Amino acid sequence: MLCIETKDLRKKYASTLAVDGVDLQIESGQVFGFLGPNGAGKSTVIKLLTTLISPSNGKISVLGIDSAKHPLEIRKKIGVVLQQPSYEPTLSAEKSLEKYGMMWNIDKKIRKKRTEELLSAFGLEEIRKKKMDDLSIGQRRRVQVAREFMHDMELLFLDEPTVGLDPAARRKLLDFLREQVKNSGLTIFYTTHVLSEAEYLCDNIAIINNGKIMAVDSPSELKNRFGHEKTIKIHISKVSEELKSKLSKIPECQIKLEPEPTVIINSTKSEIILMNILQILNETETKINDLSAIPTNLEEIFLKVVGDSN
Amino acid sequence: MIQINPIIRLVNRNLTISINPGFIIWQILFPLIYIFVAGFAYTSLIDSVPFGGKNLDYPAFLASGMIGFNIMNSTLISGIIIWNDRRHGMFEQIMSGPFTRTHYILSNIATIGIIGLFSAALITAVGYPVFFDSVEFNIVTIPLIIFGSVVGAILFGSIASIISVKLRSSEGFNVIINTVFLFCAFASTAFYPVQGAPQPLATIFYLNPLSYLVDIIRAGIFGQVTDFVITEMLVLVALAAILFVIATKLLTKLDF
Repeated sequence: MLCIETKDLRKKYASTLAVDGVDLQIESGQVFGFLGPNGAGKSTVIKLLTTLISPSNGKISVLGIDSAKHPLEIRKKIGVVLQQPSYEPTLSAEKSLEKYGMMWNIDKKIRKKRTEELLSAFGLEEIRKKKMDDLSIGQRRRVQVAREFMHDMELLFLDEPTVGLDPAARRKLLDFLREQVKNSGLTIFYTTHVLSEAEYLCDNIAIINNGKIMAVDSPSELKNRFGHEKTIKIHISKVSEELKSKLSKIPECQIKLEPEPTVIINSTKSEIILMNILQILNETETKINDLSAIPTNLEEIFLKVVGDSN
Repeated sequence: MIQINPIIRLVNRNLTISINPGFIIWQILFPLIYIFVAGFAYTSLIDSVPFGGKNLDYPAFLASGMIGFNIMNSTLISGIIIWNDRRHGMFEQIMSGPFTRTHYILSNIATIGIIGLFSAALITAVGYPVFFDSVEFNIVTIPLIIFGSVVGAILFGSIASIISVKLRSSEGFNVIINTVFLFCAFASTAFYPVQGAPQPLATIFYLNPLSYLVDIIRAGIFGQVTDFVITEMLVLVALAAILFVIATKLLTKLDF
């Protein structure tokens, strides 16, 4: 079942086209990553999908509901963690969760139970009585994300939820989100600038730039499509003039002298080039200290897709 | 699960974040100091004040004025809620939840109405020993006090809301709101009678909605509902309606 569907979605602010003809079809029960550089249109798309703002053109259907006709019905079924912090400065972390549950009309007993579960799941027990104003940015962010799980929802929008979190808290959150998707069939629309996070968490990814969708696929398919180039690094003992001369005739290969002499191959035919280079190293009696092949990661794909579109 | 109205849920939230021990103490302590210190200290200067067909002791006059003053002061909360919600991202968060802007606006109005009534009841209880000799409660005057309290709360709550929507910086918000409310407090009939005041000041007193609110509440407490008070009621309702519409429009247009 389609959870989110947009057709020719556009949003114009004065003379700026923030979202330019976005077409999305997102299936339920997955984590959908939405990546893009700063100002690419990610947050605007989230605001459109969560009905906070209206599109200038195009159609949005969320959970099968037309956003132009029934925005409130959509908001009743979704959870939203926006990019900017949101909190009640005078409430404690515990009270924040509890009151948020009340605002969502959650039964008092369930509220109490969920508050305890979430305080534990997000490692907030020690700061439960602390006022939100007195918490660090990361602690507040954890409360903000935890708070959203006080109510039932079918779709959750998370706009850079790990900003300000330490690596342990970040991993804990990602694992918690995975569990939620696995156990409750929740769909998550997830934006981040940490691409290793997206690779770890997301089933499918869209890359947006200048308001346009540049690519949509699973992380592995994106790698297959855009990640043909492989990088191989050969750390060598010395660089002789003879070696330099011979290597200069091989395309897609470069020598770096600092911090240590290294031959770097960056090509779609890295393996073939490697064979040639090994032969040259043998001929010039150059000793190999170390050799490594760097697999293509999402970050390289992202930079390539965004770079190409620019 | 019992479905509680979204406005009631937001009012619950508004009251939780606004009312704290400090606020309640301030709501009682400040008027108490005024009524019992200023009220009795100025008695030697202001012997009695004519109001309707009665002559009131100055402490009784002041205590009844403090009810209007306290309603106005407590409605500052409305502006503070909106301003804090915008500053701390809660306005956007609430609007992305199961609420509409109408729910948000109405919940603010209900909150200031409740706080206004609570405040009026508090000062009536505290000030009762002072004005109890002249009190004339009856079937008309009690609804009049409630009416005045609610309309006054909406009026001043709307002013506070307009200021909070228009200003982003905390310094600007504090300066403007304190200036407006300080002017309203001291250029009104809450603390001093209009009789004997220089003509320009007397005119300013009646350009100030707090004077109307205070007069209506005094009329309710001392049973002196005159034609002038009825006119004041109409002016207060009209002003509150205009300011409420402006505040609502500004809140509706508030961008994310």
